[in-house]
Amino acid sequence: MIENGPLLERLLEGEFICAVTDEHSFHKLQNEQLVEDLNHFLRPLNRRVAKSEDGAVYFLAYCDLNQQARQQLSQQFNTTVQSLLPMLEWMQLVQEAMGRDGALSAGDTIKLQDFESKVVDNQSLIQRLGQLSSDKLFKSTSDKSDMQIKQVFKRIKELGYLYQPHKDRLFYIVTGKVEQLIELVRFIKDEENVPIDEHTPEQEAMF
Amino acid sequence: MSTLHEGKSSAQSNPLFQLGKERLELIGKHADALMQGYLQGHVDESSFSHQALEKLINGRILWRPDEQQPLSLRPNVNELIAGLTQDERKRQINSDVGEHLDLIHTRVQSLQTARQKGDYAASEHHMQLLTERVHDMTGQFGDAIESLWHRLNTEFGFVSSLDDKILEIELAQRQLRRILDGFKIISFEDLIQLAGSDGALRKLLVSQLQARISEHSGSLLEVQKRLVLLMARFRHQQERALLVNRMSAFLRQHPNFKVGDYPNRSNVPEVINQAHGISAQGFVALDRPQDSYALAELARAIPRDLVPASQSETQTQGFATAVQDLVATEQKQLAKDVEDFFLHVIESTEAVSGVDYLAENALPWEAEMWLFQIVAEFEGLPQQNKQSFMLEKDSARKSPFNHLHIIQDVKLGMRFFGDFQAVG
Repeated sequence: MIENGPLLERLLEGEFICAVTDEHSFHKLQNEQLVEDLNHFLRPLNRRVAKSEDGAVYFLAYCDLNQQARQQLSQQFNTTVQSLLPMLEWMQLVQEAMGRDGALSAGDTIKLQDFESKVVDNQSLIQRLGQLSSDKLFKSTSDKSDMQIKQVFKRIKELGYLYQPHKDRLFYIVTGKVEQLIELVRFIKDEENVPIDEHTPEQEAMF
Repeated sequence: MSTLHEGKSSAQSNPLFQLGKERLELIGKHADALMQGYLQGHVDESSFSHQALEKLINGRILWRPDEQQPLSLRPNVNELIAGLTQDERKRQINSDVGEHLDLIHTRVQSLQTARQKGDYAASEHHMQLLTERVHDMTGQFGDAIESLWHRLNTEFGFVSSLDDKILEIELAQRQLRRILDGFKIISFEDLIQLAGSDGALRKLLVSQLQARISEHSGSLLEVQKRLVLLMARFRHQQERALLVNRMSAFLRQHPNFKVGDYPNRSNVPEVINQAHGISAQGFVALDRPQDSYALAELARAIPRDLVPASQSETQTQGFATAVQDLVATEQKQLAKDVEDFFLHVIESTEAVSGVDYLAENALPWEAEMWLFQIVAEFEGLPQQNKQSFMLEKDSARKSPFNHLHIIQDVKLGMRFFGDFQAVG
């Protein structure tokens, strides 16, 4: 158990562990026996190791949903829901700027320089970036695209959706936490019966 | 292939040789313009001279599919280029097995007729054509499979959008099914009968063909499996992109959209159960003697700036150099030790001698400094607290000639109900 101390500590600190952020630990966590051992240790702290539905990312969840845990969850859930639209818009922006078809997923790489050169080439992307970066999630006050991009990516890195392998290089990898966000979006869509499944292409064109 | 040339003439003397060479050279000569035509779908007539154009048309390289249509490459040429360049956009997969089998039957019959007539040259020739036909067939499947693999390995990179990729996979799946269906038509029993007792024919039509076909089938099944996986992945990506796009459009349109209070439901959904972070901090603790060495090492290893970088005023409090910093640190430690002494006094039942305490705890301070600090600390106490303690100075007159008293020790005790609890 001693050798898993650092891993436990990171999990306790609220880190999400995926193949991008820490491949070694990620593989370790795939061992059910180890997870059981960790859970045993975490039990008095009212925590257990949880993973996203597709198994792309590991994190800690509460064992017992007592009042205190629920309060924490409420707070956190509200924050996440509030940041949902800017996050989705950021994903769309990256997807469109980089000419990608599918939504961003764990392991996708983004070179900030590439992204920037694509954005500044396109007036509508510049405008969307400007709007997005002034959102209270990103709080950029600059009117320069490059500063806005830096701020947005910095914030998203802080939120754990991006991993920066080299501190001094503006090169990011999308983490497995994004999968958890997508799962949340899917969950909200299903639970709240958000009417977005039945859209015909005509309806979509109206947006 | 339609021109049968009887006889054992060498390849060069065959009129086909000259004609084929001329036409291949024609293609080479106009390679630039032809490739442009290949990519654009039609050729630019102005880039050829009138004569060249005529030669290319007569050479069955260019044609006009329709009177209204511009000149373009003949399908065979298109296919040739697509095959040579592995251009999956245009590469065709020919999965027709029936025609090959028909032709094989015909060739075998011609061969057997020639043999019965004893025409050695003709039977040689038919054997060669038959061999070619069999190789054409297996080669065609090999090409088809290679093309499928190529598309798979490049993840259908020749089309850019996800929708197109999905359509391309569907197409590839249909082609693959047709080839597999084609394999079913090949009846090896028929072929065994056809070959009869002829060893060379048996080898060509049965053992070799069988080996190739089973190899191809295995490969195709693998391709099929991979296509299904890739399709699932593309569909997954497509679904995600749609989800992201539509959800963000919905949220933009409904800024007041409220999400249910899931954290307070009786069944909290898994997806939102994420514990908040806690950080376990550790501090320097001196309560385990065995740690003291390691801690001292650590303390020594802390780099000390000789000239501290610009410190704020509150930090410096008048000190400016590293030496003074050190003094300040020592002073803090002294004050702390004295504080501990006071705590010790509170805990003990009797008055405690400062000098004894110093010796017992092996503190590094000079006795004079130590006593001074105790007195200072005592005097510095707020009036209320001061009344709880009683300080007795053990002093002696230094000399009969003046009133200088030297304090040799101080005894500190707790005062209860106004009495010094232990009278010295």
